[in-house]
Amino acid sequence: MIIYLLCFILFLVGIYGVITKRDLVKIILSIAIMGYSANLFLILFAYKKSALYPILDPILEKSVEISMVDPLPQALVLTSIVIELGTTALLVSLAARLFQKYRTFDITKIRRLLG
Amino acid sequence: MKQQTGMTLIVKTITRLTVWLIILYGFYIILHGHLTPGGGFGGGVILALAFLNVLLAYGREFTGKWLKIPFLEKLESFSIILFLLVGISGILAGKLFLANFISKGHKYHLLSAGTIPVFNIIIGIKVAMSLFLVIWILSGLKLEEGEET
Repeated sequence: MIIYLLCFILFLVGIYGVITKRDLVKIILSIAIMGYSANLFLILFAYKKSALYPILDPILEKSVEISMVDPLPQALVLTSIVIELGTTALLVSLAARLFQKYRTFDITKIRRLLG
Repeated sequence: MKQQTGMTLIVKTITRLTVWLIILYGFYIILHGHLTPGGGFGGGVILALAFLNVLLAYGREFTGKWLKIPFLEKLESFSIILFLLVGISGILAGKLFLANFISKGHKYHLLSAGTIPVFNIIIGIKVAMSLFLVIWILSGLKLEEGEET
C-alpha cells in the first residue's frame, strides 16, 4: 500500500512543479514527472511478487501454482510512453516558438496575446 | 584559432570510442526482443540516443554529413510500409492480418517466434529514425538574437 502512496506523492511533486514554477522548461519537466508517475502506477498494479514472465509454456503450466505478471498494463504503458514522447516534443517546440517571440521562458513576462 | 563546433576534445574522443558500442547494444536489444525484456521500441530508443550522442558532441554540421538525413527520412517512411506488407502477407498465407505465417522454431532460440523478430526489427528502425528526426528538427530551431525565422 505504501508503494502506491509513494507513487501518488511523485504525482503531487509533478503538480507542485506545474503550479508554482515560472520557467517553461521546468513546467515541461513537471508534466513529464506526472506522466512517469501514472505509468509507474499502472505497472505497480500489474506487478506480482515472485511471478513469472507472461509466456504460455506447457512445461511451466504443469508445475504448481503458476502466477504470471499481467501483460496488459505493460502494453498500455508502452503506448503511453510513446504518446508522452509526442506531447513532450510538441511542448518543447511550442516553448521554442514562445522564446523566439518573447526572448524569455518566464511565463509571467509572456503577457501580450498579440499575433 | 579554428572555429570550434561541438564540445571539447575529450568528449569527442570518448564519443568516437563509445558510439559504435551503443549502436551494437541497440541492435542486441532489438534482435533479442522476443527472448529478453526490450524489443523494437527500447532498442530503437537506444539507437536514437547513440545518434543524439554524436549530435551533442560534434555539432549539427558534422552529424548532417555523417548520417545523410534525407536517406533517414526515406527509411523512416519506408519502414511502416514494410510493416504493412508483412502484415498483409499474413492474409495472403490464408490467415488473418498480422498472423504468423513462418515456422515458430524452437522455443527460447534466437531464430524463433515466427514473425515477431521481423516486426521488432522494423519497429526498431521506425522508432530510431523518428525519434532522432524529432531531435534533429528541434536542434535546428534558431533561438539566437536576430535569427528570426
